Amino acid sequence: MKPSRARYVFSLQMALAIFAFVLTVLALYWVFLVAPNEAILGISQKIFYFHVSSAMNMMLLYALCGLLSILYLALPNNKVAAMVDMLALASAEVGAMFGAIVLTSGPLWAKKAWGTWWTWEPRLTLSLLVFFLFFAYLALRLFAGQERFGRSVASGLAVVGLPGLYFIHVAVERWGGAHPQVVFKGGLTHPEMRTAFFLSVLATSALAALLVALRFSLARLERETDILYLELDSRFPSR
Amino acid sequence: MRTLVQFIGIVRKDIVIEFRAKDLLYLTAFFSFLLIVIFSFAFLSDPAKAIDYGPGIIWVTVLFSAILGLNRLLEREKENSCLWALLLSPVSPSTVFVAKVASHMIFTLLVEVMAIPMVFVFFDLRLENPAIFVAGLLLGTLGISLIGTIFATMLINARLKEVLLPLVTFPLLVPVLVAGVKITALTIGAPIAEEPASWLRFLLGFDMVFGAVTLALFGRMVRS
Repeated sequence: MKPSRARYVFSLQMALAIFAFVLTVLALYWVFLVAPNEAILGISQKIFYFHVSSAMNMMLLYALCGLLSILYLALPNNKVAAMVDMLALASAEVGAMFGAIVLTSGPLWAKKAWGTWWTWEPRLTLSLLVFFLFFAYLALRLFAGQERFGRSVASGLAVVGLPGLYFIHVAVERWGGAHPQVVFKGGLTHPEMRTAFFLSVLATSALAALLVALRFSLARLERETDILYLELDSRFPSR
Repeated sequence: MRTLVQFIGIVRKDIVIEFRAKDLLYLTAFFSFLLIVIFSFAFLSDPAKAIDYGPGIIWVTVLFSAILGLNRLLEREKENSCLWALLLSPVSPSTVFVAKVASHMIFTLLVEVMAIPMVFVFFDLRLENPAIFVAGLLLGTLGISLIGTIFATMLINARLKEVLLPLVTFPLLVPVLVAGVKITALTIGAPIAEEPASWLRFLLGFDMVFGAVTLALFGRMVRS
């Protein structure tokens, strides 16, 4: 990357970071100090704001990863394809992180709200399987052999996962059958709660965008380093 | 027409090899027997509950033996890089893929024919609706073969493929497992108020969507 371009990218990332930071502080302020405590659940209801916004971002990042993988497989093998692929990897890694947040905050919430750590509630089950898919994707990236080959397999998984998630969703919804289900259908009635929720979704999304951007530039740097090493090897074979 | 000849050629090749070597089929079938016996130790204290566990045992056995068979089946293609030779030959990659899916499906169905009666014998289950049971098994196996084959072929040279393959396929095969267990439970008379037809439609939809997706993907993926 040219130095001028690198400076430009850096200042964009800085701006995004400041934006995310301000939003996060604002969201925290609203969640903990402005929005009222929920009548029954008390302060533990505040998990909801982070849990749901992380879940939304996780799903969004999976969709992004899948769509980018389609693009990667459709493109001829060139520099653009490599960029698309790096972006897909970045969104998968950040998505997996949000998955981990969802799966830790979910049981914490469930324990307080429903009295058990885990229920096979459809949305929770779906989140777990999205996390598994992210995990499998990243495992393929790491262990599926030669560079380009591993990328293809992993992209294939991300693409197959798109309709896969739809089927998983339908299956786990109907799987419960006649069993009693505990589903949170409270809705956010209080306007301040709604503002707090809106702010936390915004803050989490900004954070997600920032992390993806940073991971993407890291991937680019890795690639550039690899290319430089190759060049070095070809110029000085006996180095 | 030529595609059909090529397809039959590849499937026949796989069957002939298996027929001469005989190792894979019998070993996998035996593995499924063992699984069933292990399950009966693990789950069955009260024979009256067999109707609850039976369908699950059948489908976990199918899933495990299908994935085990997949690894072995492709191990053969790995020797002397046969798979790459196959892909380099003037046969379109989709034909190779469909033929591989068919071979794996035939193989898995044979294992099922040998193993599943054992579940009925050991757990004293009664099959009330054989047609739906078989339909569920066929559609479910096709789903497993489709998802399994595409990733097994791609992972043929991966170091950790025995671990990676289940890791990748099991989450995607959750719908097949759920639908299969439901259909089987309904055909052995489990007291669930559901229609097997809707689950069969679900499986059919699964197979059709993934048939199209994997077929479209395979060519793009092997390009590298």
